[in-house]
Amino acid sequence: MKMSVVSKEYQELNKEIFALQEGWKSMLAPEAVQVKIESNTIVLGIPMVSFMSFDLNIPLYLQWIEELQTLLVKNQENLAGKMGSVNEVMNEEITLRWFEEAISVNQPYFASFASENGIDEWIPQFLAETALRPYLQLAAEKAQPYITAKKAGSGCPVCGEPARFAQLEEEGKKVVHCPRCLAHWNEKRLTCSHCGNENHETINFITIEGDATGQIQVCDECHGYTKVIDSRQFIAKQSPALLDLNTLHLDFVAQENEYSPVGEKKLAN
Amino acid sequence: MAEFVKYIDVTKCDGCRACMVACKNWNDLPAEHTDFLGSVQSHTKTTADTWNVLQYIEHENSKGGLEYLFRHSSCFHCTDAACQKVCPESAISYTDFGSVVIDQDKCVGCGYCVQNCPFEVISLKEYKDKNGETYRKSHKCTMCTDRLEEGLQPACVTTCHTGAMEFGKKDEMIRKAEKRVSEIRGRFPNTMVYNPPGVGGTHTVYVLAERPSVYGLPENPKVPTSAVVWKDYAQPIGKMMLGATTMAVVAGFVSNKLFNKGGHGHGEEGGEDYE
Repeated sequence: MKMSVVSKEYQELNKEIFALQEGWKSMLAPEAVQVKIESNTIVLGIPMVSFMSFDLNIPLYLQWIEELQTLLVKNQENLAGKMGSVNEVMNEEITLRWFEEAISVNQPYFASFASENGIDEWIPQFLAETALRPYLQLAAEKAQPYITAKKAGSGCPVCGEPARFAQLEEEGKKVVHCPRCLAHWNEKRLTCSHCGNENHETINFITIEGDATGQIQVCDECHGYTKVIDSRQFIAKQSPALLDLNTLHLDFVAQENEYSPVGEKKLAN
Repeated sequence: MAEFVKYIDVTKCDGCRACMVACKNWNDLPAEHTDFLGSVQSHTKTTADTWNVLQYIEHENSKGGLEYLFRHSSCFHCTDAACQKVCPESAISYTDFGSVVIDQDKCVGCGYCVQNCPFEVISLKEYKDKNGETYRKSHKCTMCTDRLEEGLQPACVTTCHTGAMEFGKKDEMIRKAEKRVSEIRGRFPNTMVYNPPGVGGTHTVYVLAERPSVYGLPENPKVPTSAVVWKDYAQPIGKMMLGATTMAVVAGFVSNKLFNKGGHGHGEEGGEDYE
């Protein structure tokens, strides 16, 4: 029995990254994120992060990027040269820009930054995003009490990440988790996380033979999918970010079956 | 690695038998034809194809009232397992989780484990090979060790809808069991935590509503003396003696070679003398 297609080495690397992020988050002062909740923010489906102000500690953010680079190089020595060139171009202005563009997942910006500076395309966004997450996770912690309702199709109410990962928790309750900021919210078992469809005839489940805990909830209205993991079966609770990674095979299966992690209605908007 | 136990609170069990179904389902065990036993109980005891059986016991309590008692019965995964001790092929071993498992490739079907299990949970199954020859293998609950290795709880535990079964760290589960006993003593005066020390404690710990004998369990199970003598004394001494014998043979061979060399010389000399 094998529960994940992700190699043990890559799982271990990610565990180390998550541990770093946990440590980084504890370095942040509570006032590093100021949450301003507008009464209709969630109802309108606007990510709360749009109304939050971040007090970015630039030296700390750069230090995190360096720590992350050290970890990556330790795991893969041939990255040393590629990582070194990033540090040469970083300054205060670029750091601020990285932080802002990482919040909005601006892939074109990072792609052009990489191309202009002769860096591998994946590196700038990966570093910026990984170092951003402690801020997002702190923001989600602060925003969590306000997540009482959610507009279908708007993704994570805190950071806007597509809602594609849910867990079945105590007494079968379906809880959608954001693997990016770790915000979570309840959802009806038979509801599409993307379009809010509740018609049982157009909501189906794909199960994988030999996978005891995972299933893919697919919606034939919006062609979106959500991975649903029965975490009641686990001996110890696992972090949503790690579970999301370990269930990567479900993403492949869903996408091979022409379902999308965002849903068509959202794309149309 | 932390030791884990399966904790079963029989007073929460409603006899739904979902644990039996989950076990059959996960372990791909075939259905068996059974005879009516006069109660809802499907099997007298565990078999090679039914690794856990729900017991239904009609019991008259001390006040003369009828108690309908249920118990999920399966392997106890003893810390000091008699089956492991008596296995001549070392086919039975302990895992890092504390579960006791049978290596089907090593099992020769001798049945010693079946005879020596104090809880009678191991059974032999007959198979036929391609030549029509009959051979046997021992079978029992594995505590879903294949699931544990992937961080999942045993199948029976995850399916229990009343919360009668839980799986967790040994100390935590035993504390929970003791707390539960103190809570229900008013309702069940004979209630107890069943974690028999005679087998070094078990990795299936029960909160029983009545004395163990009411459930057909031994009050104070022990590893049979013959098993202890065999595994802890006879086998090591035997191995030691085998080693000593081998050493003696080798030493004898070497010295004999040397002696023969000398003797051969003497013979030659003697021959010369005779000549």
